[in-house]
Amino acid sequence: MAISLSESIQTGINDIMMRKVRSLVTILGIVLGVMCIMVVLAIISGMNASTMEWMEQRGGLSRIDVMRNWNYDFRQGGEASLSLSELNRLRAQIPEALAINPTVSLSSAVMQYRGFSYSGQVIGALPDMQIIEDWYPTRGRFFGELDLRENSNVIVLGSSVARDLFKGQDPMGRKVQVNGHILEVIGIMEPKYWENPGGGAWGGNYLEYMNRQAFIPLSTMMNKLNAGSEISSIQITAASPEEALKLQQKVNMLLLRLKNGRAVFRVSSAQEMMVQMKQNSKIFSMIFIMIGMISLTVGGIVIMNIMLASIKERTREIGVRLAVGAIRIDIFIQFLVQTMLITLLGGVFGIILGFSILDLVSGFLEIKLLAEPKMILVSLLISAGVGLIFGIAPAMKASKLDPVVALREE
Amino acid sequence: MEIIRTNNLIKDYLLGKVRVRALAGIDISIDKGEFVAIMGPSGSGKSTLMHIIGCLDSPSEGEYYLDGDLVSKLPKHALSGIRNRKIGFVFQSFNLLPHLNILKNVELPLMYSGLSASVRKEKARKILESVGLADRLKHKPNELSGGQRQRVAIARAIVNSPSILLADEPTGNLDSQAGGDILEIFSDLHKAGNTVIMVTHDSHVANRADRIIKIQDGMIADGNLT
Repeated sequence: MAISLSESIQTGINDIMMRKVRSLVTILGIVLGVMCIMVVLAIISGMNASTMEWMEQRGGLSRIDVMRNWNYDFRQGGEASLSLSELNRLRAQIPEALAINPTVSLSSAVMQYRGFSYSGQVIGALPDMQIIEDWYPTRGRFFGELDLRENSNVIVLGSSVARDLFKGQDPMGRKVQVNGHILEVIGIMEPKYWENPGGGAWGGNYLEYMNRQAFIPLSTMMNKLNAGSEISSIQITAASPEEALKLQQKVNMLLLRLKNGRAVFRVSSAQEMMVQMKQNSKIFSMIFIMIGMISLTVGGIVIMNIMLASIKERTREIGVRLAVGAIRIDIFIQFLVQTMLITLLGGVFGIILGFSILDLVSGFLEIKLLAEPKMILVSLLISAGVGLIFGIAPAMKASKLDPVVALREE
Repeated sequence: MEIIRTNNLIKDYLLGKVRVRALAGIDISIDKGEFVAIMGPSGSGKSTLMHIIGCLDSPSEGEYYLDGDLVSKLPKHALSGIRNRKIGFVFQSFNLLPHLNILKNVELPLMYSGLSASVRKEKARKILESVGLADRLKHKPNELSGGQRQRVAIARAIVNSPSILLADEPTGNLDSQAGGDILEIFSDLHKAGNTVIMVTHDSHVANRADRIIKIQDGMIADGNLT
């Protein structure tokens, strides 16, 4: 009858405590390997968290964007723009969309107020923009259907425009001049702010460009400020992230049909980008996990050799154990468990070390790291696994000893 | 009542490519409660015989009955159980595990017979008390004298109440004073009804036994009952 596992673990712990220095040296490779894996996992989950957060800021995973397709060869004919009637036809065919915001922009537009000027982007939009960007005015109001119908001369300012053009005066109700047209300020958007949690080289407000925008009704843009212009981009929000992929394909197909099969638009979805980013980070993580695996393998081989040597040294002990009634499986388990305890110990040290250098790595690489509890479990499983794999050979060797030969060993 | 019986035990070894016959047909019979010494010069085969009697090794040919059971044909893993329950070993060099205290050393056979920690601790403590080491339970073997170490080894050998106590040159590493004490313990154990088999080349030691079996060139030269 084999002895119980807890007995083997007890014996293993005693053996490790007996040979403290050797055990510590033995586990170095595992400590480094586990530490490496811990840090990589933290980098990956940090990256995923940043990506998710960024996606959320950009309208979430339900968002679809229609833009000029830069891969299309425009010499073959076609324009990456839609007329109002084309837009309305498209719109009628996608009633499932939660919000649609076609935009015509006037980049490098100069906004003027009493001699002060501000160059930024003036965008012709629909009220749906508020839903799509989850972005609302903090003061005043956004323009509505009435303004659209009447081509009203109104403008809603981004927070930076409002601050910098008016130099501290209240912009509400004042008249701004854009390309010779006088527009009344009816609202100021809430400031947009999102910083990459990693900070450092990637620091700063990622969304500042939005604060530098100003919005006018789409009709005002297309009929007055930029008469004859067409719609160059559309933002759509699907009912749910799951719907987004379906809607993306549908919009793509409708646009192709509208443009006689010419792929002048590129339809992208946040979902698709997310998948792409996940794919990229998967490749990245595979590389680092492989590096960790290699160091764990090297650590495992070191442990195997030390265990093999220690079995040579403990031959007589094994002989005594066999003489007093240990069976082969007892000896096998004793040494396998001991190897696994050593690698687990290495894993624990690796986890502690990994956690303690996370801040250092985060500061050095200037990225956000995210430690998750499941990483501890993964690391422990990996280190126990290394012990299991590299413990088999020494345990086999120990259990195959002949008691007579083992007792004779000096 | 016979506790050990062997019929024509033969043991061959391969030494490189040469076949060496260590035992060339041994027939012995030992009764329960006997105190027997097995004597012989080195290379006579007495150690090989002890290994077979102690179930550490199996004969090449012949039969060995221990307690009425034919054990010579048993597979190796079954021999472990026999060693654990029926045989107590005492070695010349004590063979205590150096990193365990003497209580743990004595507990070892009980651990392999599956006893719970509390039961075996109690048993081991009692046995160590009986060999006069009650105040040394937590000591490591290297903190004890040779004679004390051999007493620990005897305690370990008898803790599982084996059928036979098998001692291989038990006084070989001890001075005459300590050796005498150890032989005294064996005598006491014998008087208490235990079967003691002692392998030695020292006739003074052998003379303490009831009967001396002499081995020479793998055969019995003298001293068998049958």
